[in-house]
This record gives sequence, structure tokens and C-alpha cells, in this order.
Amino acid sequence: MIVEVKEKTVLCSACFNVTVSPLCPICADPRRDATQLCVVEDPRDIVAVERTREFRGRYHVLGGALSPIEGVGPEQLRVRELLARIEADEVAEVILCTNPNLEGDATAMYLARLLRPLGVKVTRIASGLPVGGDLEYADELTLGRALEGRREVDA
Amino acid sequence: MRDFRNLDQLQFSPSRGAMTVVVGENGSGKTSLIEAIGYLSTLRSFRGSPREALVRRGSDQAWIRAELADGTRRITVEIELTPGRRDRVLLNRQRVTRSEDLLDVFQVTVFTPDDLVLVKGAPEYRRDYLDEVLEASSSRFGVLRRNVERVLRQRNTLLRQANGRTSSEVIATLEVWDRQLAAAGEALVTAREALVTELAPHVAAAFRRLTRLPDPLELSYRRSYDGTLGEALVAARDEDLRRGVTTMGPQRDDLFLASAALDARSRLSQGQQRAATLALRLAAHEVVTERRGNRPVLLLDDAFSELDDAATAGLLGELPDGQAILTTAGALPVGSHPASVRRLASGVLT
Ligand SMILES: [Zn+2]
Repeated sequence: MIVEVKEKTVLCSACFNVTVSPLCPICADPRRDATQLCVVEDPRDIVAVERTREFRGRYHVLGGALSPIEGVGPEQLRVRELLARIEADEVAEVILCTNPNLEGDATAMYLARLLRPLGVKVTRIASGLPVGGDLEYADELTLGRALEGRREVDA
Repeated sequence: MRDFRNLDQLQFSPSRGAMTVVVGENGSGKTSLIEAIGYLSTLRSFRGSPREALVRRGSDQAWIRAELADGTRRITVEIELTPGRRDRVLLNRQRVTRSEDLLDVFQVTVFTPDDLVLVKGAPEYRRDYLDEVLEASSSRFGVLRRNVERVLRQRNTLLRQANGRTSSEVIATLEVWDRQLAAAGEALVTAREALVTELAPHVAAAFRRLTRLPDPLELSYRRSYDGTLGEALVAARDEDLRRGVTTMGPQRDDLFLASAALDARSRLSQGQQRAATLALRLAAHEVVTERRGNRPVLLLDDAFSELDDAATAGLLGELPDGQAILTTAGALPVGSHPASVRRLASGVLT
């Protein structure tokens, strides 16, 4: 069964979400706000944020977080693709939704410093999520509040 | 408990709120018993042994269960220790995943003859001492300590990967880890300094009573850097990149012990240095008691073996009220009045 799923799924060519068509349903939906971009580590985090029903923009999946121990630097993440999207699309706000742990915070800080010179608003989900946790395990109420309470990052 | 170290199966009921002495020869398993009780609090061996060493040879799992009483409250703790896996910990039959959850319900103060490294040994022993007291006094310090260790590993790995290169890419990521280390490191250093201020009068008082020396034993925390840690990390960046290691921060600080303004190691006799380690443990016990609002259980593993009669009497006189479990290889410590005495031979308690 798993083999079959693997053969059918691809990564969305815009946001790198897991999907069965070239564009994922979120990227293909014209009602989604293209000016808001939510940056997550993993496709599963999209599911978590969608559950909150607090977010009507689009996503960008980094494919992980900065972690030298695991050999992950900026080159291993989809940072270049993120920059390209911000330049091409009408992105006004980037919401950094990486996990509320050391690596997620470091990644958010790195991206904030990179993105601010581009003139976009850069925000980070509010703390209050269980520290050291994963987004995908946060309940939708807590995550919803964290999204709502997001603040601009001072890089 | 079952299959812990060399102990096949053991059931132990220490006297409540009083002293229990366990008499047993070396190799009888008495240290293992203390180690298991300590494990119930910290999920670590107080001897610093790896987890694999805690499971009896020929068995694939060790098991410890304890019933704790705090006033009228009863708490059961159950731990399954399997090498290569995370400990399975049940608190009142509910699974818990953070080691702080155990420390929140049960704390211990351990005395061992090896404690002499607190005075004589490398700075890391004294840093660990401070961090363990912090962890025992509040669960948030456990999280902080782990964060500092993790950021340091990340930063040191990055420094080695950079291999001396200072490309803008390397600097940009290094700056991020610097900020993380500055925040967590500074918080840990501040907490340690506050702790030292709190410990100092207790240490001085216990040391004075134990030794009757006119010169007090003084504690001071020595940072490895000046100014803020953030600035120090920037200033040390070239050096760190060259050496592939972080040269500033809490991992390089020290707790300095002095008597009459001189280093305790050179100024104090062997016996006085031992008294200094006892004073450090007794002070830690007092501070954890004050901060938690309840007394840790005292665990003294063979702690009297290196003490003469006067020092033994001194330590017994200093021991605060509350539950204490002592082990000894020979006779009862001179002047001790335990509520119960048990004998342990070849892993069997009588
Ligand atoms: Zn998409």
C-alpha cells in the first residue's frame, strides 16, 4: 500500500507540499491569499496549521530546520526557492512557522535576517507553544492562538 | 527493583522521616541500591555510569518501582530501563516523558567519597554540581541546561564544518547560533551566580562548624568572559573558528573555592578539603529545601569511609532532619543513631 502512495505523490512545484497533482490544492485555490506566506519545516506542519482555520494564505515548505549536527545548513533547505517566490509573487508578509525549539528558532532568526532587507513584513508565531515541541503535535487552539499572536521579528 | 546492576530482586522499606543504615561489604550491591533510589529522581546514575551499565548482565531490562509519601499524598513511580531505548516512566500509572516530572516530585542529596573531585577536580565537576542543584530546585533549569548543551553542540559542529572558512554564509549561520547561545548561556550563568550567592552562607557556616577553622570558606563564580556573552562570542569568533570550538560561555566558567583569599586546593589540608565537599553538599541540600519547600532524601553512600571519628561526628551532627539512607561497609558510623539497620549480602537484604 505504501509503495502505491509513494508512486502517486509528488511535491507541489510552488510550495513543496506533498500532493498528487503538479500544484497542491492550496496553491491551486485562487481564494487563498497570495500576499501571506507561511513558512513551515515539514508538509505535516501544513496539516496542523490548516486545522486551526486561522490562516488563509499560502505555504512554503523548507524541508527541515538548520542543524549542523544533522548536516543541515541553509543550502540543504529550500531557502533559494523561498527568496525566488517572494521576488516573483506579491508577498507582503512572511510568517515563520518553524517548530518552537532551538533549531526552529535558529531557522526563523536566519530567515528573518535574510528577508527583511527585501522589504517584506516578517513575523514569527507567538511563543506559548510547548517549548521544544513539534508543531504537528500542538493542538489547534494553541497553535491558532500562536498564529494570531504572531509578532514582527527584530533581526 | 529488578535486574538493576548486580541486584536480581530487592525490596527495601526505609524508615520514614528517619535514618536507615544499610551495612554490606564491597560488591554486596549497597551502592547499586543508592544508585537506584537516585535514579528515581534524576533518571541518571549519580556515578555518571552509562545506562547500559545499570541493567544486570544477562537481562535486557531493569525495573524500579517506588512508593513515595509526602504528608498524606502517595505517589508511585515506576521506571523501565532498557538500553538503547528511552526510559518508560510512570507516575501514578500515568506515562510521563520529561525527566523534570520526576524531579518535581522527588529530590535527593547524594554524598559519596568521590565528591572530593568537587574541590580537587576539573572545573566541569563544579559546574555540574551547580547545574544539578539548579535542576533539583526547579524544572525550568533542566530545560535551560539542555538547551545550552544543544546550542553548544550545534555551534561547535558548525565551527568544525567551517574548517577555518569565513564565507558570508558561514558568518550568517554562526551569528544565529551565537544569538541562541548568548540568550541561553547568559540565562544559565545568571542562574548559577544567583545560586552561588544563595549557597555561600550555608557553605561557610557548615564548613566552620565542621573544621572550626578561623578562615571562612569562600565561594565565587568566575565567568570565562567579560561584558555580555553576545559581545564575547563576536570577539572570540576568529579564535573559535581557528580552534573549531567555543572558547567563551558557561561551559568554560568555574566555581572558585578560597580560604584566606587563597585557592582551597593549595590552602586546605586533605581533611579540610573533604570537609569543604561535605559543606557543599549540605548547602545544596538546604538551598533545594528552601526553593522547593520540601526536603530531599539524603543518600550517603559509604560517605564515612574516608572520615576520621571527629569528622564523622561532625557530619552526623550537621545532617538535617528527614529521611536519610546510609550505606557502610563496616561498623555503624560512630555516634549514629539509625532508626533501622539492614544488612545486604550478595544482593539479599535482611
Ligand atoms: Zn503548493
